[in-house]
Amino acid sequence: MMAGANEHTARFDELLPAYALGALDGDDLRELEAHKATGCAECRRQIDLWQGDLEALATAVEPIVPSAATRERVLRAAEAGATVVPFRPRSRPPLWLALAATLLLVVAVWGVWQQDRLRAERDGLARQVASLERRLDQTETDNRRLAKTLSLITAPGARAIQLAGLGPAQGAVGHAFVNPRTGQAIVYAFDLPAPAAGKTYQLWWIPAGRPPVPAGTFDVDAHGAARLEVDKVADAAEPKTWAVTLEPAGGMPQPSGPIVLKG
Amino acid sequence: MDSGPSHEIDLMRRIGAGEGEALAEIFDLHSPLVLGLLFRILGRRSEAEEILQEVFLQVWTQAGRYDPDRASPRGWILMLARSRALDRIRRRDSSRRREEEVAGDPLLAAVHPVGTERLEAVERKSRIHSALGLLAPEQRRCIELAFFEGLTHTQIAERLQAPLGTVKSRILLGMNKLRQALGS
Repeated sequence: MMAGANEHTARFDELLPAYALGALDGDDLRELEAHKATGCAECRRQIDLWQGDLEALATAVEPIVPSAATRERVLRAAEAGATVVPFRPRSRPPLWLALAATLLLVVAVWGVWQQDRLRAERDGLARQVASLERRLDQTETDNRRLAKTLSLITAPGARAIQLAGLGPAQGAVGHAFVNPRTGQAIVYAFDLPAPAAGKTYQLWWIPAGRPPVPAGTFDVDAHGAARLEVDKVADAAEPKTWAVTLEPAGGMPQPSGPIVLKG
Repeated sequence: MDSGPSHEIDLMRRIGAGEGEALAEIFDLHSPLVLGLLFRILGRRSEAEEILQEVFLQVWTQAGRYDPDRASPRGWILMLARSRALDRIRRRDSSRRREEEVAGDPLLAAVHPVGTERLEAVERKSRIHSALGLLAPEQRRCIELAFFEGLTHTQIAERLQAPLGTVKSRILLGMNKLRQALGS
C-alpha cells in the first residue's frame, strides 16, 4: 500500500541527515520540502537531533581566542544601540488606526499643496500690485507734467516760440512756451540725433544785446525727443532768442559747440 | 563561573532583555569555539574575526528568537556562525581556496593542550574525535565538504569525481555512524 502524501516514511528518514547538513539538493530537496510543508512534527524532531550532532561536529575544531579588540568592538556596538529584537512578533496596527493615519497623511499632503498654491497666488498678486503701483506713479507724474504744461500754455500772455533745426540737426524742430508773468518756461525738442559719447545738449535763452544764459542740459529719448522745464527766466516779458547747442557732457558756461535748434 | 545549560539559557533570556553583561558572558564562553569554526570554514583570521563580530551582534539583536527546545545556546550560535561563514565563502571565488589553505585532516588535527581549556571541553573534543575516527575516510571527507564548505550532494560528487549515489550513501552512513558514536 502506498503511503499518503503527509505520512512520514523511511524515505524521509534517509533524506533528513543530508538535509540538516545542508547537502540535499535537486529532486531530493524538493521532495522533502514538500513533505515538511505539511507540518510534519517527526521531521522537525529529527532535524533538531541532527543539528545536535552537527553541533558536536562543530566543536571538533580548534578554539581560537579572539582579540581583545574584537570583544571590545562587539560589546561597544551592542551598547551603541544595535536594536534588540523583541521576543513577541509585532502585532499589526488596528484598521481604524491605519485609516486614521492614512487620512492624516492625505490631509497633510493636501494642506501642503494648498499652502503652496496660496503662496504662489499671493506672490502673483503682490507682483500685480507692484506693477499697478508703478503704472499709477507714472500716470500721476505724467498728469502733473501735462497739468503744468497746460497751465503754462493757457496762461494769459503765454508766448510760444518755434525752434528750427540747424547744422548737424537740420530735421529737428522745437517749441518754447514762456509764461511772462511767472518766468516759467517749458521747451520741447523733436527729432534731435542722439549726442555722441561725452556730449550733451544744452539749452540757452539769449536776451537781446546780452550774452546767452544757460538754462540746463538734457538728453533725448530713443525717438530724439526731449522736454525741459525752466523755473525762472529773467525779464520773461521781454522777447528772447532760444537756442540749443551741442556741448561737452556737464555743460558749459558759454556756448562752445554748434547750434542745433534756434528760434 | 556557572556555564551549565540552564545558566546559558538564562543568559540568552537576559540578552533578549537587552543586558549587555549577559552578552559579554556568552561571548567569553563561546567566542573561542565560534572563532575556531569560522577560521576552519573561512581560512582567514581577519575575516573570521569580522564574521565573529557579526555573529555576536546577531545574537544580541535576535536572542529573542532563540528557542531552548530546539538547540542549546552554543549550538544555536555555532549554527548562526556556520551559516554566515558559508554565505561569505559562497560570495567568494572559492574554487582555489580550500585545497590550498586547509591541508591534512583538520578534524583529527591539534587537540588543545590541557590546562588552557576546561577539562569538559577536552573530553567533549575527545569524544567527537573518537566518533570521527570511526568513520571511513571517504565518509568523513564528504561530511566535511558539506559541513565546512557548504557543498551539496551534486557539488561533492563533482569535487570528488565520484558517482552521485555513492556520495549520498557516504553521507547517510557517515551521519548515522556519527550519531551512534556520539550517543554511545
